Amino acid sequence: MSLSLILRLAWRDIRSGEMGLMLVALLVAVGTVTSISLFVDRLQTALVQESSNFLAADRQISSGEVIPQAFTLAAQERGLDVAQTLVFPSMVFAGETNQLVSVKAVDQGYPLRGKLIVGDVPFARGVPTNEVPEPGTVWLDSRLFPAMGVQAGDVIEVGLAELKVARVLVAEPDRGGSFFDLGPRLMMNLVDVPATEVVQPGSRLSYRLLLAGAEENLEGLKEQLNLTPSYKWVSIRESSPRIGRALDRAESFLLLGGLLGVLLAGVAVGLSAHRYAQRHFDHVGVLKTLGATPKQILYGFLSLLLLVGGIAIILGLAAGGLLHIIIVEALANLISVELPSPTARPFLLGTTTGLICATAFAMPAFIHLKDITPMRVIRRDLGQSPASRWVSYGAGAAGSLVLLVWYTNDLLLTFWTLAGIVGVCLVFGVLANVLLRSGRVVGMQAKSGWRLALAGLQRRRSENTAQILIFGLAIMLLLVLVLIRTALISEWRSQIPENAANHFVMNIAADEVDGVRGLVEKRATQGDFLYPMIRGRVTGVNDIAAKQWQDSLQREPGGSRLTSERNLTWVVDAPESNAIVEGQWWVEGALEPEVSLEADYARSWGLSLGDQLQFDIGGQQVEAKITSIRTLEWESMSPNFFIIFSPGALQDFPATYMTSFFLQRSDKRFLNELLTAYPTITVIEIDALIAQIQEIVAQVSQAVELVLGLVLISGCLVLVASIQASRDSRMSEHGLIRALGGSRKLIGSSLAAEFLLLGTFAGIVAVVGAELTVGVLQSQVFNLSASLHPWIWLLGPVAGALIIATVGLLGSRSLVDTPPMLVLRGLN
Amino acid sequence: MSRTVVSVEAVEKVVPTAAGSLVILDGIDLEIKQGETVAIVGASGSGKTTLLGILAGLDEASAGRVMLVDEEISSLDEEARAKVRGQHVGFVFQSFQLLGSLTALENVMLPVELRGDTLAQSQAAQLLAKVGLADRVEHYPRQLSGGEQQRVAIARAFASAPTVLFADEPTGNLDTQTGELICDLLFDLNREFGTTLIMVTHDSRLAQRCSRTIAIAAGQIQA
Repeated sequence: MSLSLILRLAWRDIRSGEMGLMLVALLVAVGTVTSISLFVDRLQTALVQESSNFLAADRQISSGEVIPQAFTLAAQERGLDVAQTLVFPSMVFAGETNQLVSVKAVDQGYPLRGKLIVGDVPFARGVPTNEVPEPGTVWLDSRLFPAMGVQAGDVIEVGLAELKVARVLVAEPDRGGSFFDLGPRLMMNLVDVPATEVVQPGSRLSYRLLLAGAEENLEGLKEQLNLTPSYKWVSIRESSPRIGRALDRAESFLLLGGLLGVLLAGVAVGLSAHRYAQRHFDHVGVLKTLGATPKQILYGFLSLLLLVGGIAIILGLAAGGLLHIIIVEALANLISVELPSPTARPFLLGTTTGLICATAFAMPAFIHLKDITPMRVIRRDLGQSPASRWVSYGAGAAGSLVLLVWYTNDLLLTFWTLAGIVGVCLVFGVLANVLLRSGRVVGMQAKSGWRLALAGLQRRRSENTAQILIFGLAIMLLLVLVLIRTALISEWRSQIPENAANHFVMNIAADEVDGVRGLVEKRATQGDFLYPMIRGRVTGVNDIAAKQWQDSLQREPGGSRLTSERNLTWVVDAPESNAIVEGQWWVEGALEPEVSLEADYARSWGLSLGDQLQFDIGGQQVEAKITSIRTLEWESMSPNFFIIFSPGALQDFPATYMTSFFLQRSDKRFLNELLTAYPTITVIEIDALIAQIQEIVAQVSQAVELVLGLVLISGCLVLVASIQASRDSRMSEHGLIRALGGSRKLIGSSLAAEFLLLGTFAGIVAVVGAELTVGVLQSQVFNLSASLHPWIWLLGPVAGALIIATVGLLGSRSLVDTPPMLVLRGLN
Repeated sequence: MSRTVVSVEAVEKVVPTAAGSLVILDGIDLEIKQGETVAIVGASGSGKTTLLGILAGLDEASAGRVMLVDEEISSLDEEARAKVRGQHVGFVFQSFQLLGSLTALENVMLPVELRGDTLAQSQAAQLLAKVGLADRVEHYPRQLSGGEQQRVAIARAFASAPTVLFADEPTGNLDTQTGELICDLLFDLNREFGTTLIMVTHDSRLAQRCSRTIAIAAGQIQA
């Protein structure tokens, strides 16, 4: 066929609406993918940037040793921004008072991500600044002002250096990183450190090289440096597992959403292409009698598909871009992060999706047109061979697989989603067919709408089975998305419950416990119970010196040490967020000292149940037997201990205590009161960290809602395509009934009943399929606990019936309105 | 002596059914000369339409030899048969079989376009004028009456100047008066183009206008 003929046929088909649905389905596929990926891409980048604030950088290299200059030079050569910090504990003096503080010395570039918040008055809201303390000055935590009795302008001593108090440090982006980065903060300039002379060999020092820049340069640097264990490469996922996991799950969800959107759109493309092909059987028959060869037919229709696909892709990309802009504008008030510029990737993704959809879902139907026998012009009953239909399904399935794997890059997610879909199709295909087969009636039963509908459902059993599955699948995919979304968001929210403790109090002396507790109970909401805290170190394992035990494990040098001093505690009952995985928790009143270890800690030091551990606590030797191994919920906002003793073992040692409480931001002045009354205690504020996590959760939730909305559009399109696909056979049947005297009301009520029944069946299929798929996805992919959702058991079938009846009746209006004469003459 | 344009030897058509093989055509031998007008008649289910499909190369015989304008089409695949149809064959069908998305003119142009001929438009317009539809060239099939649609179909059939014209119940969907007019048109053009006309019909008056009648019963030619 000549190009001009193809163009003319394509134009006619588009204009007459024959190609319309396929064009729209392809357009929606491309548009959905483009807009979802545009938005998700930009939001993800924004979220990563936002969460980078927790590191004050994109990556960090941390070490107890000085970071070599070569690292900095290598980073700068790759165009990365760099900054350095040094954190160490030190006593500072202001006149007669002294206080243990955590000093952070920073250079001019700090922080690379996020902002420092400073103020002029303690315990007040501050303002963001781009500066760092000037040489010769320090910024202090609010609570240091009452604790040391100083004011701005006073001079304090840090080691041998005298530094002027300049401002109040309200917040720093990477403060939340280390839980045991104890003591109130004193921030100073890095150039003043040598003058203090406190940095000596053996000091507890934490050097950090902060890095920020393009992802590939960061990864390139990591590869180039090939760090020894003395230097730790830190990214957000490692430093803050809470946020890391939230981001991972969000990413999986958004991918799942995109994936389901593509699948649904693919089904819509397949259905509409199939219908188009079916309506062109005669057309091809005629062309063949006129001498068109199978090759010409193939070439002609594939060119036509390419043309329509091209138009759909261009329009889809434009629509996707536009939709994304509208969404960003609409959410501008909700999304506080500044979105970075879009990349070309989403457009590439949209184009490829369009091509794959056209190839896998539409092309088989077009290819089979070449096999239509020209005898069809005389014998209209000759159609497509059943074998070729299976080829179409196979191509569709293969296309789905390629799209899923390519789009999610996650075999597990793809496997479970596909397994759910295939399982549901098999089981319910058989079930629907059996249901429709039962009670087969003779004739059309054209007396009442309901009976006509039932008879119609049974007569077109195989088409209706397919339609139930398609409707069911569309509703199921939407339900899966709704359920997973609900589970994810509530899981995120439950991680940080309202009024979760956002302040920790440490270093409470035994005689201060009642007083602190009294004050906290009066002014704030008490969180955890009081933990005694005792510093101690492991000195031996099974009477082998700890150093020797550690050496026998042949670990690389420079990592953490078994002999490091740690916080020990003793409790009667196991803390709530701990789960015993080996051994048993001690019984009350046991005399022998027992110890419970955290699972990773025990594994990394080769310790197991029954081993005897020797400790040095304040110069005294204590021995205890390992009787249980625990896992911790690092995500819970409660104090976690690697080593917990049974009550009898440490009761006689002097301990300080720690507790936690929830405090509203507006009640922050309470800290002043608490610290004035008990100047030696240490308060750690994590309310800013919690607020930041909540902000991220809120943003991710919005993205999740958006994806759901877009997939909903694809789902509706599938419904319309499926109803369109069955329109032709319904049309001829109903035209005949009307010609024989059936009223419009009869046809209308029959259609309504048919769609209601189909929708109810589809709803049942969807509910069961969704429960199964969600159960597996929750446990296998999202690591959430699986549960049933009784509310969808009624909602699914009812919503299915209503939606399908509405869409079906709207799409079939012409069935009722077209004069029967036109229907019978085949001119509809 | 005119040459033979269609010849059939021992043609059989057997189709498998659930109840076993069904013989539709059973040992058909036939020869048709250039310029002949032949009516194939018979009761419903006698196999006449199947025979027409095999003669025209639309369908394949289960056994036997079929020659169409010097080509042994029974040994050709669909690709090659389509080329033979495009070069030598025209069709007129009971249900007109116009493409609804093309105008009358475009429908007539179609066979010539399929051959890659560029003079299609003027030829097509002339043919439409010949069948009395000069003022309906831009109309779509749905805007035309049954008789008019069949006239477009006849114009299309002659557009490629075929050697053989096959017609399947060409007046079957038309009233008597329109049927007569269509019949006149078909025979007039046939004479003018010197085409061989082979038609399947139930209409005895139409059959009588043909130079030869072949009667089929139970898949065999009746003497």
